[in-house]
Amino acid sequence: MKQTPNLPSPSSGGQAAEENSSFIPPSSSFRSISWRVVAILIGGLFVYAGVIKALDPVVFARDIGNYQMLPWPIGVWLALYLPWLEILCGLALMTRILYRGSVFILTGLMSLFIIATIVANARGLDISCGCFGHATKSLSFTWHLTLDFLLLGGLVLLWKGSTPRTDDRTS
Amino acid sequence: MKALLRQSVVLLALALLPAAVEALYFRDKISWQSRVADSDLVSVDVARGWGTNALWVDARPTIEFERDHVPGAISLNEDRWSEALSEFLGKQWSPEKKIVVYCSSQSCNLAEDVARRLREEAKLPNEIRILNGGWEAWVAQKR
Repeated sequence: MKQTPNLPSPSSGGQAAEENSSFIPPSSSFRSISWRVVAILIGGLFVYAGVIKALDPVVFARDIGNYQMLPWPIGVWLALYLPWLEILCGLALMTRILYRGSVFILTGLMSLFIIATIVANARGLDISCGCFGHATKSLSFTWHLTLDFLLLGGLVLLWKGSTPRTDDRTS
Repeated sequence: MKALLRQSVVLLALALLPAAVEALYFRDKISWQSRVADSDLVSVDVARGWGTNALWVDARPTIEFERDHVPGAISLNEDRWSEALSEFLGKQWSPEKKIVVYCSSQSCNLAEDVARRLREEAKLPNEIRILNGGWEAWVAQKR
């Protein structure tokens, strides 16, 4: 069995590699602690954003509708589903359980959201994403995009940070 | 790669559960088929039939209101909400009258937002409807 830095040693429990890959044990190194802090911050942000939207799916459905990209009924279902996906992925980032899956999903969601925002702006739509409730209602398009790209950048860093290096894998 | 996909599927599936519970909880509070519930809309014909029993509220930007508007309508948009609302409540509003809010077309959202604020923030007890098709429908009806 190949050993990666993300896997506990066989002596720590003897679980199958597939099972182990969902859990990344903390390391004492400064780099590892930095990744952990970034993951907790980004995860916390997604949990907060998800909770705000889950509390009022009607408003979020309206926000999705403002993009004028999807039929209303689909927007409603997304408004009910996406906040919980954000909450779960945020918690997964913070606890490092199902970590890589959560980074993968959140990166995909952020990318889609950035594309949708740019397209909506190009179509001249005055949209409010409502991503963080009233806190971001007054943000300009430029600020919205800047924050989105920062989050996306953080997620990409987390993705890279969680990917085992070749020399580690083969050691 | 396999583990990544499995983790993603697990997360995607787990999120379905609370979403389904929330859908049940909100089943009567969400308009599932259209952005505005049919019961909140009113056609131009019906609204005109209400005559003086209806108060018309123009939710479009002020510049569009100044260009043309429904006779007797007041301009009440989000840009000058507080000022225009006080003016509306002071001069025209009456609790018995129906309120018809309109914006430029079927696809605009301004009327819906203004109607919601009149209900939730101003807490008006009136029957508040959104004009189906907005200003475009009004103009088309006049032709």
